[in-house]
Amino acid sequence: MAKIEIEIDGKLVNARAGEMLIAVTDRESISVPRFCYHKKLSISANCRMCLVDVEGAPKPQPACSTPIADGMKIHTQNEKAKASQKAVMEFLLINHPLDCPICDQGGECELQDVAMDYGSDVSRFTEGKRIVADSDIGALIQTDMTRCIHCTRCVRFGAEIAGIMEMGGTGRGEDMKIEPFLTEGIQSELSGNMIDVCPVGALTSKPFRYELRSWQMNSMSNIARHDLVGSNIYTQTYKGKVKRIVARDNDDTNETWISDRDRFSYEGLAHENRLLAPQIKVEGEWKEVEWNVALDFATRGLGNSVLNNHQSDQLGALASNTATLEEFHLLQKILRELGSENIDHRLNVKNLNSPIALDSNVKLVNLENMDHALIIGSYTRLEQPMVNHRLRKASLKGATVDVINAMEFDFNYSINSENIIAPNKVVATLAGVLKVVLESKQQELPDYLTSVKTDDVITELAEKLLAEGQSVIVLGEHVINNDSAASIANLITNIAKQTKSSTLNLSASGNSMAANLSGFVPGKGGLDVNAMLESELKAYILLDVYPHYDFHHSIKAIDALNKDGAFIISLNSFKDKDVANYSDVMLPISCFYETSGSHVNIEGEIQSFTASVSAPSDTKPAWKVLKVLADLLELPGFHYADSAQVTSEITHQSHKSHVHDENIDLTTKQGIQIIWQKSPYAVDALSRHAISLQATKIGQMNSASMNKATAKKLEMTQGDEYLGVPAIISETVANNCVFVNANRSTQAGGQS
Amino acid sequence: MISNKAKKQIDIWVAKYPEGRQSSAVMEALKIVQAENDNSLTTEAIQAVADYLDMPGIAAAEVATFYENYNHKPVGKHTIRFCHNISCMLNGADDLIVYLEKKLGVKTGEVTKDSLINVKKVECLGACVGAPMFQIGDQYYENLTTDKIDEIVDGLRKKSK
Repeated sequence: MAKIEIEIDGKLVNARAGEMLIAVTDRESISVPRFCYHKKLSISANCRMCLVDVEGAPKPQPACSTPIADGMKIHTQNEKAKASQKAVMEFLLINHPLDCPICDQGGECELQDVAMDYGSDVSRFTEGKRIVADSDIGALIQTDMTRCIHCTRCVRFGAEIAGIMEMGGTGRGEDMKIEPFLTEGIQSELSGNMIDVCPVGALTSKPFRYELRSWQMNSMSNIARHDLVGSNIYTQTYKGKVKRIVARDNDDTNETWISDRDRFSYEGLAHENRLLAPQIKVEGEWKEVEWNVALDFATRGLGNSVLNNHQSDQLGALASNTATLEEFHLLQKILRELGSENIDHRLNVKNLNSPIALDSNVKLVNLENMDHALIIGSYTRLEQPMVNHRLRKASLKGATVDVINAMEFDFNYSINSENIIAPNKVVATLAGVLKVVLESKQQELPDYLTSVKTDDVITELAEKLLAEGQSVIVLGEHVINNDSAASIANLITNIAKQTKSSTLNLSASGNSMAANLSGFVPGKGGLDVNAMLESELKAYILLDVYPHYDFHHSIKAIDALNKDGAFIISLNSFKDKDVANYSDVMLPISCFYETSGSHVNIEGEIQSFTASVSAPSDTKPAWKVLKVLADLLELPGFHYADSAQVTSEITHQSHKSHVHDENIDLTTKQGIQIIWQKSPYAVDALSRHAISLQATKIGQMNSASMNKATAKKLEMTQGDEYLGVPAIISETVANNCVFVNANRSTQAGGQS
Repeated sequence: MISNKAKKQIDIWVAKYPEGRQSSAVMEALKIVQAENDNSLTTEAIQAVADYLDMPGIAAAEVATFYENYNHKPVGKHTIRFCHNISCMLNGADDLIVYLEKKLGVKTGEVTKDSLINVKKVECLGACVGAPMFQIGDQYYENLTTDKIDEIVDGLRKKSK
């Protein structure tokens, strides 16, 4: 756009033609008051607070909706501008209760701040103020709608960002109010952002209600580790406790939004179920002991069970995907120094015979510029909310999105073709797509494709990828339940190569990118998790593992770990019945925000963070525990003063990327297939212990969905218990499939 | 919730807008659905209209609560829409409204026991030349007096018998 020069308050300023005035003043740090304007939302210009004087215009103009033109002269501070702003302020305060002393927003309220500058000391309004009834909109957001000034930011957020318009302005004139239509509670997975955008105390955080004033807390930068994006956040702390989490702007990752999971999971930190003291099992009884006793017990135990007999190949290490990069690194280093390659974090993957090797090669910011996306096996909206947000932006710009899933999901953008097929048909479908692609390029077909069948649907899927423009193929989390996962990944790699598509591998979760980067996978001769459990190793070090939730084969895993004779060291943040049953030592480790470390996101970006609060009670950051354990085991090379030294060691060593096993196997098993998916708010121990999150609709997802035909085969009716969760009969599920969304402990993992 | 006949009527309006802009027909659709539901809209009816036009329920509710012509409570067979804006007010509308309320035995906003008539105060209907005035159905009644009101109301009562 053409560069132009305008004059603001006597100062010459460069800008681009067509920019809104408020964008220019914001860039130049010229303060213009506003309520309805938000840089990431559409312009509505309904609060009128940003009125400024534009020379030549008969009336003051709203800066948020005034496009600039060359030579424009603007006054933001002259008498006309000030008078208009003060007048608007007076109108806005007519119906505002001014109950700042009992309002949660007090101290961080845009209305309060602006009223300090533009409000009058004495109100001229002597009539009665109106009162608006509150609506209960769920466990996360507290409403106090009498305070609402009708800026409509929450309405626009719902319609434009969350993709579900849930709030709206009903009535008119003095009777207008902002409210949801149906009072089932807000459903969006991004709903907490409405709290951030609300300029007044109408929408505030329910779990944080009446807790503290903003100035009493320390705000520290941190990274949320629940998903593959690593949203940037501020943890707000008071007396060593995390009291609230708000979004921190980073246009490369989460823009200015965060998911509810990132925002409200902190509640789990204070849960009574935290493991707070080291414990050792003496003659079957748990005994709380000092750290040195516990670590000594652990080292001796490892010595007696494996090390003294030179059986280090009988030692295994498993970790859940919540660990930090440094923790993954130290644990694998300990194992490798001891001479064991039995290292794995892929606890929830069904078939590990060959790895799911698919590199992501697209930046999050570029996702929104895609012209086409093919999503395979994912409900991105709930699984990776911020990735889904980018896909939604692409869709709004005109991108087509095709989906291959085992069940219909409620995407918040339009889907071009939704293919609901059973997991055992995915590999054949993708093979068909590859065949069409190769044929269209007149390339020779590899042997395994010659007999593959194609049809119209497959041809259309392929044609979309072949069409001009940028495409991305997204592989989702459901693939970890698929026996043919490795072949699916390899087919995608081939299709992407042929169609010049980007790929995005969302099959892993949490901080698993860090596990890959630090080499937390079995090395040469090492066993993967399933093999370890089968061969009944003699000793394990388990890092934040909760077997009921973390293992795909959970019952098998619990049985294997409970076998007599194995010496098990468990590092956990929360107490767990099964962990207590099979462990010999339980070491309490600090949780999210209590430790320093790094998250590696889907782009491979390492985002480091420091501890926002110190570890509670007798818990210690896992990286310190592992370091001391290594010292006690007299291993060389563990002289770290802080976690940053660990990080730099990782970034300085070169890492091989995925070892690609190019084998593609199109054979599949028949019969009923179970797709076992952890509910979005059950992905890690912290979110499982966040009470408010669990009370939401998404938090209570707990069902086994199947269609009528499948239900008949399984002799199930609506509401029957299947794999520990209630069955739902719905024709949205592919035939021969059961889609299990497990919120709490289920037996599902052991089956299928 | 919406009859096939109503759907056909709505489709005529949908066809007037570009494809994908079917929600533009929301005002007419609400009107049509209201007409076949005893002249008032329930939450379910609004949701049904929203679903039919593939738009969020709240967006339809915004429209339905903004305009005076949509009713959200049960109404009588006849709604007397009494203008109380400046011209009518200067010509005695307020007194006539009190007279009408007394005659019917209900306040504005309420429905007579026989569900025949309700009174609603509305803004200017553009008939200032004949103030004071009210509207019943599509019919304007102008230059109202107490006698004229008696005649009209009695007429309505007689017709319903």
